[in-house]
Amino acid sequence: MSLKESDLKKDPACTINSLGNYLWSDPPDENKWADCVHCGMCLESCPTYEQTGQEQHSPRGRVHLIKSVAEGKLEVNEAFADPVFACLDCRACTTACPADVDVGGLIEEARGQIRQAMPLTGWKGVVSKFFLQGVFPNQDRLHLLGSLLKFYQKSGLQKVVRKTRLIHIMPEHLVEMEAILPEVKQPVRKKYKHADVIKAKGETKRTVALLTGCIMDVMFSDINEATINVLTRNGNDVVIPQNQTCCGALHVHAGDREMGRKLAKQNIEAFKDAEKVIVNAAGCGCMLKEYPELFREDPEWRKKAEEFSAKVEDISKYLHDTDFEKPKAEIKTRITYHDACHLAHGQGIREEPRNILRSIPGVEIVHMPNADRCCGSAGIYNITNPEMAGAILESKMKNVPEDVEIISMGNPGCMLQMAMGVLKYGRNQRIVHTVQLLDWAYQKEDSLKEGKG
Amino acid sequence: MRGKEIQTKDKHIQNLAKIVGGVQSILYKKEDLLAYDCDGFTIHRHLPKAVVFPKNTQEVAEVVKYCNENNLPFLARGAGTGLSGGAIPLNGEVIISLVRMKRLLSVDLENRRAVVEPGFVNLKLTQSISDKGYYYAPDPSSQYCCTIGGNVAENAGGAHCLKYGVTTNHILGLEVVLPNGEIIEIGKNGIPDQPGYDLLGLLTGSEGTLGIVTKITVRILKNPEAKQTVLAYFDKVSDASQAVSDIISEGIVPAALEMMDKTAIEAVEAAAFPVGHPRDIEALLLIEVDGISAGIDEQIHQILRVCKNRNVREVKVAQDEKERERWWANRKTGFGAMGAISPDYLVQDGVIPRSKLPEVLERIKKISEKYGLRIANIFHAGDGNLHPLVLFDAKKPGETEKALAAGSECLKVCADVGGSITGEHGVGIEKREEMRFIFNDEEIMAQTNIRDVFNPKNLLNAGKLFPTPGRCVEVKKERKEVITS
Amino acid sequence: MVATELLTELKSILPETQMEAGESEGHPLGNGGRLIVYPKSEEEIVNILKYANQSGKKISVIGGGTKRGFGGLTESADLLLSLANYKGIVEHTVGDMTITVKPGTPFQELQAYLAEHHQKISLDPAWPEYATIGGVIAANDSGPKRFGYGSARDIVIGMRVVYPNGTVIRTGGKVVKNVAGYDMNKLFIGSMGTLGVISEVSMKLRPLPKYESLILVSFEEGNLEEEIRSFVVRILDSMLEPTSLELLSPSLSERLTGQKRYTLAISFEDVESSVHYQEDFVKRIQPSKTKMTILQQKEAQSFWNQFYKIGPNGLQHTENKETQAALKIGVINLDVLKVIKESQLIQDSNNLLIEAHGGLGHGLCQVYLKGASEDILSAIQDLRDFVTQLGGYLVVKHLPLALRQKVDVWGEKPSYFFLLEGIKSRIDPNRILNHKRFVGGI
Repeated sequence: MSLKESDLKKDPACTINSLGNYLWSDPPDENKWADCVHCGMCLESCPTYEQTGQEQHSPRGRVHLIKSVAEGKLEVNEAFADPVFACLDCRACTTACPADVDVGGLIEEARGQIRQAMPLTGWKGVVSKFFLQGVFPNQDRLHLLGSLLKFYQKSGLQKVVRKTRLIHIMPEHLVEMEAILPEVKQPVRKKYKHADVIKAKGETKRTVALLTGCIMDVMFSDINEATINVLTRNGNDVVIPQNQTCCGALHVHAGDREMGRKLAKQNIEAFKDAEKVIVNAAGCGCMLKEYPELFREDPEWRKKAEEFSAKVEDISKYLHDTDFEKPKAEIKTRITYHDACHLAHGQGIREEPRNILRSIPGVEIVHMPNADRCCGSAGIYNITNPEMAGAILESKMKNVPEDVEIISMGNPGCMLQMAMGVLKYGRNQRIVHTVQLLDWAYQKEDSLKEGKG
Repeated sequence: MRGKEIQTKDKHIQNLAKIVGGVQSILYKKEDLLAYDCDGFTIHRHLPKAVVFPKNTQEVAEVVKYCNENNLPFLARGAGTGLSGGAIPLNGEVIISLVRMKRLLSVDLENRRAVVEPGFVNLKLTQSISDKGYYYAPDPSSQYCCTIGGNVAENAGGAHCLKYGVTTNHILGLEVVLPNGEIIEIGKNGIPDQPGYDLLGLLTGSEGTLGIVTKITVRILKNPEAKQTVLAYFDKVSDASQAVSDIISEGIVPAALEMMDKTAIEAVEAAAFPVGHPRDIEALLLIEVDGISAGIDEQIHQILRVCKNRNVREVKVAQDEKERERWWANRKTGFGAMGAISPDYLVQDGVIPRSKLPEVLERIKKISEKYGLRIANIFHAGDGNLHPLVLFDAKKPGETEKALAAGSECLKVCADVGGSITGEHGVGIEKREEMRFIFNDEEIMAQTNIRDVFNPKNLLNAGKLFPTPGRCVEVKKERKEVITS
Repeated sequence: MVATELLTELKSILPETQMEAGESEGHPLGNGGRLIVYPKSEEEIVNILKYANQSGKKISVIGGGTKRGFGGLTESADLLLSLANYKGIVEHTVGDMTITVKPGTPFQELQAYLAEHHQKISLDPAWPEYATIGGVIAANDSGPKRFGYGSARDIVIGMRVVYPNGTVIRTGGKVVKNVAGYDMNKLFIGSMGTLGVISEVSMKLRPLPKYESLILVSFEEGNLEEEIRSFVVRILDSMLEPTSLELLSPSLSERLTGQKRYTLAISFEDVESSVHYQEDFVKRIQPSKTKMTILQQKEAQSFWNQFYKIGPNGLQHTENKETQAALKIGVINLDVLKVIKESQLIQDSNNLLIEAHGGLGHGLCQVYLKGASEDILSAIQDLRDFVTQLGGYLVVKHLPLALRQKVDVWGEKPSYFFLLEGIKSRIDPNRILNHKRFVGGI
């Protein structure tokens, strides 16, 4: 059953910009796969290949398929969509690749084609549309959702649900999610709504703008608080542009590049006066840095996007590069660090957060094998591909050292997923963002000082 | 991941699916199979009939038995990183993927052995025992992801085989499914010199044409007490290759002795693990010695002296493990790095007597000029294993053919100086015809005769390793069998 | 057919001076021939084989004759093909560290030649003065330094082999790394000459070590197995790189060192500083109740030279009341301890002299027996039972023909015997070469 090209080649599509069987605008970039020589160095880095052992679920396999569509050997259909959407977008393959093939970029572009070819229907479509278009980009609705969540927690309903095992009627993976949802505090965007600038403690050395993030600010507002605390503590005036929006990563991951562009434009505008854009969510940071990729066919916006991207910095790297103040109070604890994919593979940030943790007196860092292996969160992957995400989480949890008290990381999606892992596998670690620990150390130092004074 | 039932009327697919436990363990749709149309050698492609993922030896044996009884061609595949096309389903084979048989079954440090399943990744073995101070010696550059089963099939080498030998020197025992589905154990209990012909040696490197390995007992070694790595930059290739000979003549057996030429350096420096090599040197040597700490410094001094005598521009010793690792990552990703300077490459794998290096490099340069294609050279200089990398662009009409011809000519040069056409990548599809450079018809027939003992119907990985039949009657007969089966 | 008739037939292909009649009485070790032929070229080998193949003659192949008592059920084949006169170095490229030689070259001669170039073949077979390289390879012999050296299969890189039909096959090549086609070299190593006549061997070489020493550690009686074992494990788990880690039975030790004790022979070959450094380490971990002797350079070498002569030599076989036997036993590395101990026990319970040694880094033991033939046969059976229980095997390497006919030299056929049989019948369908000298009567 040899594959004859003549059997498969179809009539040329009558759309412009088409490439093989990619019939829509913004097709995958040929130059991205040109570097792939199919050597296979990426295989072991890929969590979905580790689980399935199947080539089409490996980076080079996906690249091969994406290329095959362009060559007219495959069509954009369900069978093609499956491997392309099973990718976690963790970028581990980019790190492993000797030729720096941008597999993640190709995947996102291919997803764009798939979503245009076959818009999501049914339950998945509704959920996807609700979250991606309805909630994440809409601050008010997100806050509303957050308030409901808060109400639900405060009212003790959470306890009731948990106690009465009502929760068991939910699908299992949602039950697990529910159990670890963080306690929601007031979002910083609400809190600082009327403050033009949050002043540095002491002398102002620099001014930075903070991306509060959509989910981050609603579900993890304490991390945003902590971020602001450590920034101001280190001589930064912090600005929170009010017209900023969701970074669009989830949309782009899901193939909705149009929405991604819309959000990107809004953020580029919102931050146009900022010199530095600080991000504390690895996924968002990575997306912001990759905005230019969205505007490959729009030179004017591409230029703006490039200028914008150059200003984006992860909080850990920023603190590290600006020589942050080393905390003096001791936090005696054993910590292991999980490399968020979009920090380690996406932005090449590995040592900076570890150095921050190391700078805290009393902290002992325990090595986690395969620390830069994806935890399975991958945006909303744990909602869309629960089985695979669960399997990947299981592998991840096996690598968490037994005798640590805290798992630290730099991405909210990972924090949720890892918290779920801790719960599911009966572990007892706390999940903490790197800056939170630093903030605690500073606070402890201050309270000790006050106590003395 | 998609569909809970087999959606085909093909009874073979249905039956195979039953053997391996259902839809999760078989691929049969074109879109999925496409990812299996080649391995690390991408010039030839062909779709398999199906890919099955057995979980254990029994399932492998049953799949094999089924294929044998139904005259379905089949082959085994590991990670698919082979560079000679050994896992390409030329005849629309049923691919038996062994990647799900990836357990480390046992480790016996006292008796220095480990038992692994074929899908176990090479590097993971060393990682699993390194905390105890042991390692598995064969280290092909693809060791991050290639499987030990594949290593056995190809008799994989690596940078450190100068001192420690290739895969065959480290295999103690194998469990094998023969092409008729029978399971045998050779090298019983991993004890050497079993009475009888050395089937262990014969199977290792047989490129998956004699049987399918389902369990492997390997020898593991104790980490050397000390290890030192030297990087030396040369302005002349001849100086570098002379330095190689001098080091060997000093009575030093380095653990590794690697060379890269200017074009290769350009690629690795443009790729993911740059070291900061000067771009204007003609060759670099990466030399590693290991062993007893008390003797190492003496060897390093000898090496440094040799390099200086051969006009080295700069020579340095790795200051720590991190630096050493960076040098090796730079070297080991050398092939993949070609992607950074060329859309496609073809890697050759000739072996030459070390002393012929300057002559051979000169002749390869001429080949490069003749075809108008750049050729980079990465070289296991210590054992004479040369990897000329022919750079080309498959999109340009005719360039693939040119690259193939240039590659073949490089091998001819190796054969002419008394060498071999492959040192570690295997013959596969790629070098079938080039086998004639070193073997005559009778010698090839002597080998196919052996294959016929194991694989009489030639259903297992047919069309690999041996040249397409010429005068040889025996081989003609076999082609007929493949066509009719 | 008698020798004279054979001689007449062969005259056209071989000068008469290269032929002689075989032993008239027959040789107690068997494996002889009615006519002995001494080819001096590959072409002559080809012609002899062609002749035998076409006329249905059986051929026995011999080199130095040290392994004449190893396998084989016939007293006399038609022809005894001796390679003793087909010797010499074909090619030695010093810089490439490879050598190509003719099979009849005596091993010691070869090593002496190479030593002038500070090189060596890393093998240490028995009776190197007489054993030819072809014989060493065909019988896959290795010595006490196998742990560090490896065996013939790690050294041979290429061969020329004359097939029974007269075809000359090249296997491998002359380069040290080669995976082109099947690794056919392996097929002939240890094949006991049943597949073809090796007419040329290429090997890789190693530099001659700059220094060597040997540590002998002898153990007093006590809980030997545990004491020796833990010491050996300690050595194996250390950074030491011994070339041999050989345990000698008390009887063998007595012959070689004068001490009737279990003795461990640990040898080192490297630059001098490294050798002494390793000696120091061993001294530091020396177990109590042991005696340690360290032999340097020449002393060590002469110890080993004695060692290589401890087994029976087929060449020097003399009719004697005492029967001699040699066994090769393979077990999982550390089980060597059990085998050596068991052989000592069998000696003590039988009226036999049993000397044994085995390598703890690879699991191969050599056991030499002397005594009455019935006792020897029963000891072989006992040892074979013991070894089989350990999952290992026992091969009889030396025994007079009459006894070989009573004991299975190679042990039980393996389950995959049909493959061995298949290989033999493809290559030697008329079964002219070393008939019945190998496993399962191949």
